Amino acid sequence: MNEEYNCFEKNNDSDIGKGEAVKKPALRVEKSRNLYFESKSSASMEFPYWYTRRWEELDGDILIVRRGEALKSGFEHLTPTIYPGELIVMGKTSYLRGSYPMPWLSEAYFMDAEDEMYKEALESGKLSSDQVSTMGKGGGNVTESVGNVISIAGKFGLRKEEMPILLEVAKKWKDKSVDDVGHKYEQLVPEYSEKEAIMRSVVCMFDSGYTIPQGREVINYYYPLQYGIDGIIDICQESIGKVAGSPDMDRLYFYKSVMSVLEGIKTWILNNAKEAEFMASLEKVVEQKKEYLEIAERLTRISSQPPESFHDALQMTWIFHLAVLNEDTISGLSPGRLGQVLYPFWKRDIDRGVLDNSKTLELLECMRMKYTELDCFASMGVVGGVLSGNTFNNLSLGGLTKDGNSAANELEMLILEAGITCDTPQPTLTMLYDEKLPEEFLLKGIECVKTGSGYPAWVDNRTAMEFIVKNFSAEGMGTEEARAWAVGGCLETSAGSWMPLNLNGKVYWIPGGSAPATSVGVHFISLPKLLELVLYRGEDKRIGERVFSDHKIKLDSYENIWKAFQNYFRKAVKALTLTNNIQHDAWRKITPSIVNSFLKPDCLKNGRDIGSQGSRYNTTFNIETCGTVNLINSLASLKKNVFDEKKYTIDEYIKAVESNFGFRTAEESGSYSLFDQVKKIDYSKWKKIHKHSLDAPKFGNDDEYVDSIYREWQNWFCSMAHEYTSLYDKPMYACQISVSSHAPMGAATLATPDGRLCGTAFADGSVSAYPGTDRNGPYALFSSATCWEHSLSQNSQMNIKIHPSVVKGRLGSKKFLELIRGYMRKGGFHIQFNIVDSRMLRDAQENPDKYRGLMVRVAGFTQYWAELGKQIQDEVIARTEYEKI
Amino acid sequence: MQNICKDCKYYLSLDVFNGLCKKTKKDIAPDDTEKSCYEKQQMCKFCKKFTFSQTNESLGNCMELVIAYPDMIAKTCRDFIWK
Repeated sequence: MNEEYNCFEKNNDSDIGKGEAVKKPALRVEKSRNLYFESKSSASMEFPYWYTRRWEELDGDILIVRRGEALKSGFEHLTPTIYPGELIVMGKTSYLRGSYPMPWLSEAYFMDAEDEMYKEALESGKLSSDQVSTMGKGGGNVTESVGNVISIAGKFGLRKEEMPILLEVAKKWKDKSVDDVGHKYEQLVPEYSEKEAIMRSVVCMFDSGYTIPQGREVINYYYPLQYGIDGIIDICQESIGKVAGSPDMDRLYFYKSVMSVLEGIKTWILNNAKEAEFMASLEKVVEQKKEYLEIAERLTRISSQPPESFHDALQMTWIFHLAVLNEDTISGLSPGRLGQVLYPFWKRDIDRGVLDNSKTLELLECMRMKYTELDCFASMGVVGGVLSGNTFNNLSLGGLTKDGNSAANELEMLILEAGITCDTPQPTLTMLYDEKLPEEFLLKGIECVKTGSGYPAWVDNRTAMEFIVKNFSAEGMGTEEARAWAVGGCLETSAGSWMPLNLNGKVYWIPGGSAPATSVGVHFISLPKLLELVLYRGEDKRIGERVFSDHKIKLDSYENIWKAFQNYFRKAVKALTLTNNIQHDAWRKITPSIVNSFLKPDCLKNGRDIGSQGSRYNTTFNIETCGTVNLINSLASLKKNVFDEKKYTIDEYIKAVESNFGFRTAEESGSYSLFDQVKKIDYSKWKKIHKHSLDAPKFGNDDEYVDSIYREWQNWFCSMAHEYTSLYDKPMYACQISVSSHAPMGAATLATPDGRLCGTAFADGSVSAYPGTDRNGPYALFSSATCWEHSLSQNSQMNIKIHPSVVKGRLGSKKFLELIRGYMRKGGFHIQFNIVDSRMLRDAQENPDKYRGLMVRVAGFTQYWAELGKQIQDEVIARTEYEKI
Repeated sequence: MQNICKDCKYYLSLDVFNGLCKKTKKDIAPDDTEKSCYEKQQMCKFCKKFTFSQTNESLGNCMELVIAYPDMIAKTCRDFIWK
């Protein structure tokens, strides 16, 4: 296995290569990684069984108390597992890549296709995205049932003997889960039938209230690090004494539920301590035996007390990270600025001489393996179509301190080094770029990204702060607090706070998340699909169903097309906002967050969970879009070819789109980019219009013709988003990342007037050029991308692919950094890179077994090539590869 | 009943297909049969309080009250009593 990993570097073809820096992790970590490569995503029924059992036992009790007890029971009954060689221990389940279904959120998607629950979900459009999504066929995905293992959602393996209990438990939640209860009430929204059609046509990717209701946010580790578990229990106990019997009794129940869950977490930790002792009792190798015993001691210590060392603190943050992930189906729970949070512990150990850089690096590599092992159990549409099997634990680096100085530190240098030596997808890294950051630190980031890992991504600190202040000022956000921000999930700019950590008689202001989930609300509207509906007057030709009533606007001018588009976009946003607000209301009432809540300032202080706006900041619902650049290019093509130059009539365009410009569909050709497409016999009939469509002005070339259309869209979208309000009566805002949704949403969309073909992926992100259309180099792309003000939106996303030879050596690194600086100085928010040779990606597609360790950057995350679906693989291969910068 | 590795107290699961023996450190599969070091681990099917379902071998009852399943590891169950 060891030799196979990175084997692509040994390829004799000297033209095919990857980044230059090649380093290895510690031997124990290499072994852990090999174990990971050999393991499959596995589902377990332990937690859902015990959760449901306890939930039923407490029928009639106060709901949040019941939930707390159910979670407690789940944690207490998890089978403890310690793997040989680990220094950071514990996992979501007893499997290495373990996860489990949460039928209290949603249960239909893992039922048998013949089951009534499954059929109902299909009818209401909840599973439509599953049908257009593909899952990676390699790596750890269990894509089909084999022997005693049943495949669920094309990814998770469940032992056959556990299937009956899964079905029994799932049935207990019928009509009681968040999904079912939300569905019952969302039908009262007048626009509900429109919403169903929107889902069936995949104008929208998925509902947000019951699929992945938490995440895309930054966790806060402050309370466990400062007070320890017993200390938090004491805070709850004391608070109960103050609020019991007083008005606003919900506080009492919240504190009670927090205590229950903490007791469960405590037992879970102690069970693992006992398991470590058991492993020690079997161990004959002295060093390993000693390590097991140290693990047992450490776990026992932090099951009640605050951490005493860096190693303790790192282990504790991991446990609480897991604890949040085990309370909900979550993607994108980011550790945030972990290097700054843990720095006080690290510095103390270094000063005391009990820790050195080499040991720190090994611990950080172990941490990387634990994050990489995370899986999120969800439907095919969610886990395959959107997440690509990733869980988006984004670790942010750099940025500014509370008082406005560079926040970069030595521990963050080692985190970057661990990202090089142990190049795994998780945690992905993001550099909060600020002009105040030291050159050496930035160059370390460059060294890391040059390995081909796809991280760190680079985001502009000041643009993010500007967005944070604008978005949260009504809740008291100021410049100082805005500096505590970090990236949640892929690229969701998330509010943070500074908390006073007392250590060694000193106060350290550590940053952490202080707002709940973002990217809740409207999850991905397919912009090209909406344009298609405009052309076909509300009818979806793919599924043969009417989605919207006829807009009744004559498509005889560009302005009218734009008007009709705005009309449909508003309709979609309205229907989806209202229905998703109901789902989220069902979520907060049935499965309120307890673990994530007590971690987030100021829930513990005010006795409210995050569903009752206990967090310091609560303006977090957004409207996510997908396919921006294909929409803009299509509008430019229609404007140019139909209205300005009158080469074709709009009806001719409509026919050309429906005929897929004379090509077979992506599904028929098996290719999801413009590469390798197959012509139909009547291709010549459409050849000219297709060429003119491809030749029309394209975003990414510093061409004002198309950039002005882009700017108009951004200014309108970022402004109109505020007209819609979340469940918490807060204005919503624009969010523009695609994650992986640009592939399945492309699969559900006909050809587009920009020349893109039916079923192929859209351009990724929101400011990445459509593959092959950015012909004037990166700086022209930057000019197009910054033709609008990025702080108006929660994010913008740009992917660039560069051939490794372009950034080779020290000079290449400096040139590379200047490129990033150039973009940030122009007002760009985010940029990330694949430093890779496209020919190698093609080889990897044909010979996946040779490339088990190969990773690529998709759209806000890095993933193993072998675990990506073909749709995304094709799209990444097709991206423009820069051979000079 | 055969001595199946996944029912053994020394079985360390890696995933649904594979595991390791905590004692011998060998790679094993959950359904392998092992005679040399097998020792039953606490599982519902070995508990006095568990009764098998008459209709489905993968289901049963715990304390004749609630549904349960025989293959669940009961290492952390406070009510477990060996059959």
